[in-house]
Amino acid sequence: MFYLSYLRSELLRRKGRTILTLLGLALGIALVIVITALSHGLDRAQKTALNPLSSIGTDLTVTVKPEGVGGGAFANRTVSTDLSKLGKAGQHFSYDIFSSGSQTTFAQSQAKSVSSIPGVAKIATGLTLTATHQEGKVPKITALFKTGGQQLRVSGQVKPLSAASLAKMAKCMAKLEKSRAPTTTTTNATHGGLQPSQNGSPTASPIAKGSGPIQACMPAGVRRFSKTITVPRQTLKKQVRTPQTNIKTSSYTIGGVDTSRTDMGLITPAQVTSGRFLAKKGGREALVAGAYASSHKLKLGSTLALNRTKFKVVGIVQAPLGGQSADVYVPLQQLQTLSGQKSQINVVLVRATKGAAVGAVQKEIEKTFPSAQVASSKQVADQVSGSLVDASNLAKSLGLALSIIVIAMAFMMAALLTLSSVAKRVREIGTLRALGWTRRLVIRQIAGESLLQGVAGGVIGVAIGIAAAAAIDAFGPTLTASSTAAGSDQAVLPGAFVMGQGLARTTTSQVALRAPVAGSIILIGFALALLGGLLAGAVGALRAARLRPADALRQVE
Amino acid sequence: MTSTPALYELRGATRFFQLGDSTIKAVDGVDLSLDAEEFVAIEGPSGSGKTTLLQLLGALDRPSSGKVFFEGRDLGTLGDSELAELRLRSFGFIFQQFNLLSTLTALQNVEAGLAPFGIASAELRERSLAALSEVGLRERAFHLPGQLSGGEQQRVAIARALSGEPRVVLADEPTGNLDSKSGADVIALLTNLASKHGITIIVATHDAGLAAQAPRRLAMHDGCLVADGGKSARSNKRGSR
Repeated sequence: MFYLSYLRSELLRRKGRTILTLLGLALGIALVIVITALSHGLDRAQKTALNPLSSIGTDLTVTVKPEGVGGGAFANRTVSTDLSKLGKAGQHFSYDIFSSGSQTTFAQSQAKSVSSIPGVAKIATGLTLTATHQEGKVPKITALFKTGGQQLRVSGQVKPLSAASLAKMAKCMAKLEKSRAPTTTTTNATHGGLQPSQNGSPTASPIAKGSGPIQACMPAGVRRFSKTITVPRQTLKKQVRTPQTNIKTSSYTIGGVDTSRTDMGLITPAQVTSGRFLAKKGGREALVAGAYASSHKLKLGSTLALNRTKFKVVGIVQAPLGGQSADVYVPLQQLQTLSGQKSQINVVLVRATKGAAVGAVQKEIEKTFPSAQVASSKQVADQVSGSLVDASNLAKSLGLALSIIVIAMAFMMAALLTLSSVAKRVREIGTLRALGWTRRLVIRQIAGESLLQGVAGGVIGVAIGIAAAAAIDAFGPTLTASSTAAGSDQAVLPGAFVMGQGLARTTTSQVALRAPVAGSIILIGFALALLGGLLAGAVGALRAARLRPADALRQVE
Repeated sequence: MTSTPALYELRGATRFFQLGDSTIKAVDGVDLSLDAEEFVAIEGPSGSGKTTLLQLLGALDRPSSGKVFFEGRDLGTLGDSELAELRLRSFGFIFQQFNLLSTLTALQNVEAGLAPFGIASAELRERSLAALSEVGLRERAFHLPGQLSGGEQQRVAIARALSGEPRVVLADEPTGNLDSKSGADVIALLTNLASKHGITIIVATHDAGLAAQAPRRLAMHDGCLVADGGKSARSNKRGSR
């Protein structure tokens, strides 16, 4: 076919121009493919990171805002450790303190009223607590102070007695001897000291009060000897060394999962990456988030001791980013028991009957429960930040703009090159018309050249694009996605009032970037190249068609 | 014979060009009658309107006023595709610059003139090679124009012009870019082939030697036909106004 061989000759013998056009188109297409693949990959990565959020089947997350900042539910929040109650010094201790973070707990029964709101398909309840874990050896903290035991020796001389005193004393003694004899006969000897007071003289009573009857006969100076002795005052100074402790404090989040349902909840079987989900009966089993497991060397079958209650790790999970993610998941009842919050929950997960109803349900819940904080999955997803999101946003905004610019430039270049080729070939076109070529034939020829360039450019561009995407896949840079968990109004919480509670906890998820090239992208890229070729061809051909053959021939090359 | 119309009949054929405010009359009221199998030379200095007249005769252009009849048909009334058809079947063009398609081989250049006939590739090639053989360039068939001398290029152009078996070959300064030797060769070749195939040749030239070979010589000046040294019995009108 002559026209085809003409086309081939034309393209092959004007290599420079052809290559320029091809490269322009190809690079444009390749860029579109790469950017599309990248943003697709980023989307996918983002979905992977956020996937659990949607797969836990939750449209809305309802929490209750604490009343009054820093007061009410928050009043008693500092963690203080009474070292003396930990045990004997040197003993290993490990315990966990649970607090409900920025989400006030409420009775489980209250959740039922949420389920009665129209548009709510189902609800699941959960308890997400922030736990402070402390462990280490009980330190020696006792300091001993011994006081007392001092011996005081006092020695002094008793005044010598006068002869009159001695005579008086002897008389008294004699009298005592005399009085004793009848007493022994009339009364029981055992009641000796008391009998005279009943029927004896009143003077006997001070004697009876004394320690002994003989004492009464002693002179006053001997009877009452007293001296004040003052032990010298001294200040004892002793340093009590602060106990050296190796107590480690760390905080993590723990979620109480309603094990009776597996279709929605804080975590669902879909997030279990290895092992299994918590058993329905809610035994002492735990699920651990992958990152937490690796940092704490937990494996399937490991034992996790929470305040002396041992939980067996039965599954590793990919925790959902955002909202209500936790490091450790245990059955709800177990957590309620552990934390002493019987029948208390702090999260209600809501699924709407249909996607369109989410907004209405959210409004309704907020209206019904003024203190409730309602966050939709989308809002939670919007809170997710990190390089992944940055890259994704970048790819979405900049990437789109970039590919539009590049494609436009490629198109323009193709069109301009075709135009310039037409301008250069005006005489050629005139000659063709003189040879009897109709306008249609000339247009077909010129457009055919451009179209062929478009096809070739598309093929090359698709190849480059796929190769580039494959290269990105091979290198697979790691992106992170972070989400600030829990309270939706954290910005207003004063940071000072909680210590070591890790309220503004950040969940980070790492995702390797991939650039999957979908068949549709290839088709689109190819179609774009064709379009570029057609566009350039149309521009060139129109220009060629407008030429009158006589004018075209008159053109001096 | 008398009932058949003249090959060409021009009545007050005029072609203006608008250049800004001024109007240039490239061809200004030419009356002319030409018979078939004539060898006609149009003489005149450059800018006298020779080329424009050739373009009117070759259906590359339409007159601004007046009439150009070719075989009885008023070219001014024909549509673009009818004119293209006429150029394909009835006219062959030869240019001063040869106007070969630079990216195509000699053979392809000839084929380009035959392609719109829509004949099969094999026949197209066969006829083109035959045409190249007639101008003695068969062995140069696969050379690009750039690899050919000026004379050879013009011979390829002649092969291309004649391959479609036209009624008329219109040559615009065919020797203008050639040395006298190859110019003479080209003219000899052209006239030989034309008479062999019964083709009318109209040559525009300012080469007096070339014009002298023509049985009928027309002279143009400022768009007007100033002299007609023709032997044509029917054409007794002298162009001047």
